[in-house]
Order: sequence, then C-alpha cells, then structure tokens
Amino acid sequence: MEKLTFERPVIQKINAGLPSKFGISSRMEPITDIEGIPVRRLIEEFGSPVFVFSEATIRKTYKEAWRAFSTRYPRVQFAWSYKTNYLNSICRVFHQEGSWAEVVSGFEYDKAITNGVPGEQIIFNGPDKSRDDLAKAIANGSLIHIDHFDELYEIIDLCGTSVKRPKVAIRVNMDTGIYPQWDRFGFNYENGEAWDALNRIMVSGKMDLLGLHAHIGTYMMQTGSYHIAADKLAALAVGLERKYNHVISYIDMGGGFASKNTLKGAYYPGSDTTPSFDDYAEAITSSLMKSEIKPENLPMLILENGRALIDDAGYLAGTVIANKRLADGRRATIIDAGVNLLFTSFWYEHDLRPAVNVSDQTEDTTIYGPLCMNIDVIRGSIQFPLLKKGDQYVIRRVGAYNNTQWLQFITLRPNVVMIDITGTPHIIRHGETLNTINDLESVPEHLESTDNGTTQRTK
Amino acid sequence: MSKMAWIWQSMLNSYSQIFFSDNRLFAAILVPVTFMDFYAGLFGLMAVLITNLTAWMIGLDTFKISKGYYGFNALLVGLGLGIYFEPGMLLVLIVVIAGILTLLIAVAVEGVIGKYALPHLSLPFVFALWALVLATREFTALGLNERWIYTLNDLYILGGQPLVNLYEWWNGLYIPVSLRSYLLSLGAILFQYSVFSGVLLAIGLLIYSRIAFTLSLAGFYIAWLFYELIGAELSEVNYSYIGFNYILTAIATGGFFVIPNRNSYLSLLVLIPIVAVITVSLTAIMAPFGLPVYALPFNVLVLTYLYALKFRTDNRADLSTLFVQLNSPEKNLYSYVNYRERFGKESPVDVHLPFFGGWKVTQAHDGEYTHKGDWRHAWDFEITDDDGKTFKNRGDFAEDYYCYGKTVIAPADGVVEIIADGIEDNIIGERNPEDNWGNTIVLKHSDFIYSKLSHLKSGSFSVKKGDTVKKGDELARCGNSGNSPYPHLHFQIQSTPYVGSRTLDYPLSNIFIEHAGTRSLHTIGKPAKEDTVSNIMPEAPLRRAFHLIPGKILEFKTDDGEVTWEVKRDVWQNRYIECAATGSKAWFRVDDVMLQFTNFDGDRSALLYYFYLAAYRVSAGYSSGLVIRDTYPVNMVFNPYLIPLQDFVAPFFRYLSGEYTLEYPESKAGLHDSTYRLSGSIIRKIMGRKKDEIRFSFLINNQGICEFIIDRDHRKINATCTEKSASSY
Repeated sequence: MEKLTFERPVIQKINAGLPSKFGISSRMEPITDIEGIPVRRLIEEFGSPVFVFSEATIRKTYKEAWRAFSTRYPRVQFAWSYKTNYLNSICRVFHQEGSWAEVVSGFEYDKAITNGVPGEQIIFNGPDKSRDDLAKAIANGSLIHIDHFDELYEIIDLCGTSVKRPKVAIRVNMDTGIYPQWDRFGFNYENGEAWDALNRIMVSGKMDLLGLHAHIGTYMMQTGSYHIAADKLAALAVGLERKYNHVISYIDMGGGFASKNTLKGAYYPGSDTTPSFDDYAEAITSSLMKSEIKPENLPMLILENGRALIDDAGYLAGTVIANKRLADGRRATIIDAGVNLLFTSFWYEHDLRPAVNVSDQTEDTTIYGPLCMNIDVIRGSIQFPLLKKGDQYVIRRVGAYNNTQWLQFITLRPNVVMIDITGTPHIIRHGETLNTINDLESVPEHLESTDNGTTQRTK
Repeated sequence: MSKMAWIWQSMLNSYSQIFFSDNRLFAAILVPVTFMDFYAGLFGLMAVLITNLTAWMIGLDTFKISKGYYGFNALLVGLGLGIYFEPGMLLVLIVVIAGILTLLIAVAVEGVIGKYALPHLSLPFVFALWALVLATREFTALGLNERWIYTLNDLYILGGQPLVNLYEWWNGLYIPVSLRSYLLSLGAILFQYSVFSGVLLAIGLLIYSRIAFTLSLAGFYIAWLFYELIGAELSEVNYSYIGFNYILTAIATGGFFVIPNRNSYLSLLVLIPIVAVITVSLTAIMAPFGLPVYALPFNVLVLTYLYALKFRTDNRADLSTLFVQLNSPEKNLYSYVNYRERFGKESPVDVHLPFFGGWKVTQAHDGEYTHKGDWRHAWDFEITDDDGKTFKNRGDFAEDYYCYGKTVIAPADGVVEIIADGIEDNIIGERNPEDNWGNTIVLKHSDFIYSKLSHLKSGSFSVKKGDTVKKGDELARCGNSGNSPYPHLHFQIQSTPYVGSRTLDYPLSNIFIEHAGTRSLHTIGKPAKEDTVSNIMPEAPLRRAFHLIPGKILEFKTDDGEVTWEVKRDVWQNRYIECAATGSKAWFRVDDVMLQFTNFDGDRSALLYYFYLAAYRVSAGYSSGLVIRDTYPVNMVFNPYLIPLQDFVAPFFRYLSGEYTLEYPESKAGLHDSTYRLSGSIIRKIMGRKKDEIRFSFLINNQGICEFIIDRDHRKINATCTEKSASSY
C-alpha cells in the first residue's frame, strides 16, 4: 500500500457563517481527465507540462456563439482572431466551422493564407501594416481596416500602381461609456475624425468602402457598450447612404467578449458574472435591427471573437515539483508551468485543479512556477489541497493568448496536443528542443572556440 | 404588333375559337371550309367583321375582341343565315342586324354567367339564330336558298364535267357509316353538311390538338353507341345535324375546360349520354316552334357541369379545372402537370419563416400534441444545439431555452390585425390553458390569408394593432405564455382574423429544409417534425442580377450580333421579358430570393429561349454547393409539332421529360468582389433515358449577368453583356 501523505493540521477561522459544525466544505473537485483521456496518461505520453485542446469544445463553443447571433440577425459572419491563438490546427477548426480570418500583421496574414483562407476572407486589422503587406492585401482582395491617416495615404498612394481597387473599412473608436476608453486604434467618432476619414475615402474614389469596424475593448463585461457602439456605427452607415448614396456591406463589431475566467481583483468568479453570447448578441443585434438602416441594406454583421471562443477549450496539465513553507507559515506549491507558458496569469485568477484524488482539506496556498524569477507566481493565494511532488494538476481555460504570448524563457515550450472529436490526441505543436533555439543562432568565428580568448585576456 | 393587327387576329380567332383554339393554321383551314358554300362563307365573314367592329366602336375590351370571343358566335349566325337564305341586299341588311344582335346577346350572357367565371360558349349564337329564324318567317321578300338542292347541276355550273366526275368518285369511296356520320357532324358545326368539309375539319382539328381530335372521336362514338343502345340511328340526317353537340362537349369537358387525364376521358361515358338525353328533350320542346336545337344541348351540359364542379370542396375525382387557359388541351395539360410539380398547391401570397437562423420543427402538421382537428395545419418551432437539446444548463428557467427571447419577424408583408399581450410566461413545465394561445399576434397578408404567431413574450411587441409591416420586420420575442410548458413558437396560417381560427393547409415559401441530414431548397414546402428550417438569405450580386424589374434593359452580344431584351408587364401584372428583335416573350415570377420562369412564347432559336431554359429557377440565396432541380413542361423543351405520339397518350402517360439542374459554387468567397459561376444543364429524356443535354453557365458579378454561355452539341453561344447594359444599374 502506498504510504499516506502527511498533512499538517492547520487551524482556520471560519468567517462565512456556520452552516454546520464542520464549516463550509472547501473541497476542490479534481479534473482527472480531459475529453475522456486521463491526465496522467496525457502527461506520460506527451510530457509535462503539456497544453491540451479539445476540438469538441471549440466546435461546441463556436456553434453556441453562432446560434446566439444567427437566430437574431439575418446575416452573420465570424472571423477568427489569429492573435488569440494562431496554432494552425486551431485556426483550421474555426475555418472549417465557417470562420474567416482576422489578422493584425504580415506574419499573421501569411499564416492565414497558408491555412488556405481565400484572400477575400481575410480581415487585415492593426496599426502596423507595411507597404508590402498592404500591396499584398490589395492584390488578394482582402478587407483592409484602416487604422490611421498615414495608412490611408499609403493606400491611396498604392492605388496608383495597383490594378485592383483596395477593399477597405475604417476602424472607429468611440465613447461607449466604458473606462478607460480605447482611443488609440482607429478614428475617433465624437471628434469627427471618423467622418473625416470616410470623406477622404469617398472623395478619393480610388477604393471600395465596404465596412465599418469598431473594437471597443477587451474582456468587456458591459454588453450595453456594444449596443452603444453598434448605434454609432449604424449612424455612420446611415450618414454614408444619405451623403454619398453609398451602402456599406458589413459592420464589424470586433471582439472583446469575456471568457469565463476570473479577472484579478474580481469579487465574483467569472463563470457567474460573464455575459453569455446571447447577452452580447442581443445588445448588438437589437441596435442594428432598430437602426435607421433600410432593411434591404442591412449589412452583414462580422464578429472577430477570439478569447470567448477558445479559452474554454484549452487546458494546461503538468506536475508538481515541490511544496514548501513560506516565512509567514503559508504553504507554497511549485509547479512545472510558470508565467513563461501562462502569460494570462498576469490577468486571471486561473482555475487550477488537482488531477488526482485529494483529501477534502484545503489550505491557503501560493502557487509558484518553476522559473528562477520572483514574479513567477501562478496564483498568489488559493485554497488548495496538498499535492505531493509528482502529482498532476490541470489549469482550465487557458486557450486564449497563451500559445501566442508564451515565452521561451529559462525553459523550452512544451508539446501542444489536440484531442479530436473521436477522442484521439494529436500533437499539433511539438515541444521545443535545444536545436530549435540554437538553430536560429549563429556564433562569430572568433567565439567558436571556448578555451582561449576570455581566459587569455583576463590574465 | 401594329395597332390594327387586332383586326386580323380577331378575324382569324373568331374562326378557330369555335373549337376553343387560337391556332392560326387551324383558322387557315376553317376559313376556306366556310367558303365551301361561297355565300355562306361570305355572310359568315361579314357577320364577324360587323360584330368585331361594333364591339370595337362601342369600346369593348380589345383583347377579348382580338381573341375572337365575340366574333365566333356571329360567324355561326352568319353562316346559318347564308345557308338558309338567298343572297341579296336584304340578306346583307339582316346579317348586319344579326351581327349586332349576336354581340349584344354575347355581352349580356357574359355579364350574367361571367360572374360565375363561366364562358358564354355558343349560347349567343343559339339565341340570335332562333330570333332570326322566327322573325324571318314574316320577311316575305327574303328568298330561301335553293343552292345544293340540285347538287350536280350546281357542280356542273361551277366546274363542268370534271368536277361532277370528281364528285361521283368521291361519293363512290367507301366510308363506314359511323365515320361518314362523324365527318358530317364535324362539317355541320360550320353549316357545311358534307363529308369533304368534315375531312378538312378533322385534319385541322388534328393539327390544332391531338387530344381535341381524340376527344372528338371519343365523344362521337360514345354517342353512337348510346343511340344504338336506345334503338335510334345517329346516322339519320336530323340527328347528324346535331351530332356536333357530342363532339364539342367531349372537347370541352374532356380536355379544354378540364385538364385532360384518364378521369376526364372516363367522365365522357356519363356526360355524352346526358347530352343525348338533353338533345332529345330539347328537340321535343323546340318542335312546336319549328326551331332546331343547334348547339343548345352542348351549352346546357357544359355550363351546368362546369358550374357544378365549382362547388367541390376537394378534387378527389381528379378533374382539375384550369387556372390559366392556354387555348390548347396539350399546352394546358403540360403546363398544368408541370405547375403542379413545381408549385404544388397554389399559394397566392408567399409566406416565409418568422425568424432568423435555423430552427427545428418540434411539432408539424397533424402533430401528436396539440396540432389536431381545426388546428392541425400548424407548426411549432424551437432552437436546438448539436445534441438536439433545446436548452442549456438544466432547462429549469425560460431563459435557458435557446429560442426564448429570440426575435420573431413578419413572415410576409401585411397589417397587424390583433395583438394579445399581457400574459405572463409560464414556469417551465406548467401550462396556462386559460389563455391557450398566450401572447399572440395575427397579421393580415391578403383577403383570407392571415398568419398567427403565439406563445410570445409578454410586453415584447414592437408593433401595434393597425401597423403595416414588411416581411422581416421585428414583431415580438419568442416566449412561454399560454398553453406552453416550455418556450416555443407556434405558427399557423388561417383564413379568418381571429385568435383561435382554424388553420389553413398552406405551404411556406423559399425555405431550406434539412431533412434527415440533407439540406435542400424548397420553393414551397411543408416541413415535417424534426426538420431544421431556415429562410433563404439573398446574396446581393445574385439578387441584382436576377431581380428583373419592369423597365430593365438587358443587352447581350453574341457572335450573331446583339440582342436587346426589356422587362415588361401585362395588364394582369404578369411580368415577362420581351426580345426586341423576335418579339419572343418569357414570363416569370420573381421575389426577393427566387426567379422562376413560367412560360415562353416565340422564336425558339432566339437567345431569350435559352435564357428562359437556363434561368428557369434561380435562387438569389444559396448554401455551398447548392443544387437546384426542376422540370419543364414537355412542350417547352420538345418541339410541340414533332411530338404527336406523346400528345395522343399524354392525358394518360408522359414518356418525354425535360429536367433542369442548376449548380452553385462549392464555397463562396468574401462578401465583396463577388463573382459567381452558376452552371447547369437541360436534359431531355425519353422514357427516362437521356436523349440529349444542353449545358449552360452564368457568370455573375456586381454589375449583373456578365456572361451567359450555352453549349449544345452543334452550337455554342457565348453571350456577354454589353457595356451599356452593365452601366444601367
């Protein structure tokens, strides 16, 4: 029989009433398997730590969002936000479901092309589009969302050499009642810059103005702000029709929908407070349906959601490295995934769960990553059961931004696995090796040998 | 068509209309037949001219005049007078009077029975000729016709010995008694009581319509057998003179006013003996006045029969009366069969689905829960996820249900008739039978077509009573009020404006139906339980290209030169494209999402004919890889003059067919810059086996149809739209 784990007795003050003499149960439900595959097996097979994605969850979430919008509005299109997670397999699942691609750099643009997305189905956002990027996007008939006047001038300039007419939209920022207001992207609505840009585009006559775009923020908990944003974009659309008799083809409401992760400092858990897709959809579509846009000109509604569509599908599974006591007596547990892999732990109180059966007792614990850096904290304080060295843990809802913002810092980035809808795991990104890193480096000739040089010079 | 062309048309049609036809060739045979007795023909023609001109002068409908509706009765009267009386100025005067009298009677009869949508047939002729026959007995100055009493003398005067010899030879030919009698009866229709006239008429009838010819024989021989049965001889002269009653009755009831099929032929077995009985009795009634019955028995039977058919509540006898008269039993049959296949039950107002996106039918017509009895033609809709569940979480609250709170939209243009509001949503699992329908809206779309949406959310209405709504306007939100244990949308079509009216068995238009995993597009359809349904959403470029609005000009350039088409509409608001060069016309129906051609008339080598075939059914909305299929009327894809065999058996069995297929691209590109290549085929089949195939394709861009290619074995037409046409948007 395996030796039982010794848990040090702790005395905790009960401060939430007294339902029974045992206090409130603080047992933490373990996650022992992902899509039917035991976490232990996944780690044995693919190493520790490992990112695990559930294809079924992606498709289910997509359909849920799609249902929310398509049953409220006659024409809806999703565009997968590449920066949220541009692992090819992930992108392709979204494209299979019908998503277009939303990219914010030349690199992402090329990635979308290699994923087989037709040029016309790529939305090119962001403040940094090089002249070459723009020329390519124009040639492919992609939708260019203009961010600033310098970009507009560059496009007008490119019109001189391009055979095709650029297909453009402008990004508009506006006061939607949230603070801080995002005003660094696009043209401002209230101060008239947006109209200024629209006038220049229409007067230039050199490009096709197809849409209007707004992206009011990220992790938006206020659906009302979307309603306001949609109102303002609709007003621009109506104005364009009155002034130029020009009918736009689409309104892009961007993304920014919250996932069910809990933000740091939030009072209630995200799963209780996050608006549902239905709430967002209702706010946006009710505005457009009631706007003054003529019914026959009702534009296509494009959404560029990333986080809300992918966060739930991603898991990070790993192994406990050690436990220790801190100076104030609190327990600290060190796990093998740190902020290098889990960039989002700067924003979220991640839902960390044991992957093995544990006792009912929990204790205030700090969870540290493996880095030799003081900032490497996954959870500052969590009621967590005791896990032994070598036990597995799972962190839920890590699908968004981690695989694009992770750092190759101190350690190498691990395998990423996708479990397909039949329950078969596939590696979709191989763990890095020393060669992955070294292959990119080159060493000048005089440094190739390590046994002289510096030693001689210090003598 | 020149302004005075109606005069010629009205004259020719006045001849062919006697046999319900507007066939020119047939008329070209009939005219000389009437002139077999020169003076009869002359006075007949005179009567036609007088009637048609009078009708025009007093301002009757030029269309009806040109169709010969007034003229054919006058023709018969004129022929009758010309046969009876010695030609002369007095007869001219009488014919003038007779022509005007016939016209007045025709208009009066039309006014009386036209209300019941019944044709006036030849009643005016019967009444007018009676009046004249009775009156002229007092006209002592009018001499009776003595021609053809001494036939050989007259022939000798006309053509000398050769004509007499020909006559002798002709009489010497063996013709069976019954056939001779049939031919005499045919000739008698035009007062030309000779076998030769009968032969000519029979040939004309055959040219006009194989079905009418068959029916004429069937009608006559059924009468013949009936007379045998009752012990009379139809071959006797006085009977032969009324034998045409059977022929005309057979054509009218067997194939002209009723779609020809097995049952319409079988009905003759009963109808013809009835005509015989009516004939005998009417003859007895008229005998004291010394008046022949002429075509009265035919008129009496056909009118009572057609009138009686109108009172049917269903068509279980499969005797379909027409809705569009194409003046030929063949055309009527082929187009009717095709119309039935394509459009099924007539739906005067297109009613669409009252929501956005894909919903599942959870109770269909004759449902197992509540769609029974008077309310059996209704649908319940809900939204489901991939697992077939209609709710998230545990479904304990109305908000958990996917359909709850979703927008309910107007299924068609209309006016808000009733709004019932203020009934609270039920707790899940409970019903509120007190307010069975819950919050409800009733829309009026046209007379006798209303739609009703029920179990809506309290206070969610965005329209009010009396509002005019357009298709797709938001009405309210889906709720859970009334007899509704969980949120769903009840949708029914009814003919009265009340909440709780009985339902109407009425189809939905232009919907995608996903049935057992396969998704298909239906012009009209009645989804079944478990089907997932959604509206077609039009794609702007496709809609622009195929939304043919009157006044629109389409111009194409081919190797043979340029063609110009204009979209027009006629007085009945039927829309058609007219080819400027050939005058060909292609009729169509179009709405937001669907273009469907219904008929073509004109030059079949014109590009417009191929356009009619290729754009036979085009949807402006589509899903990836959509394939649209349809069938053509037989006579529209096969040369109508080269399929006599099919015509003969068509009422019972159609072995020729034309199939239409249109394929949409696999996946669509972005929303802009959209060029679509639609391609398809027209396949002609004999006994279900492919005879030949025409391939075609359209290239659509933002300007419209920029290319139209037809690929036939011996001919490839490449039509590109001209600049002018492209800039007309």
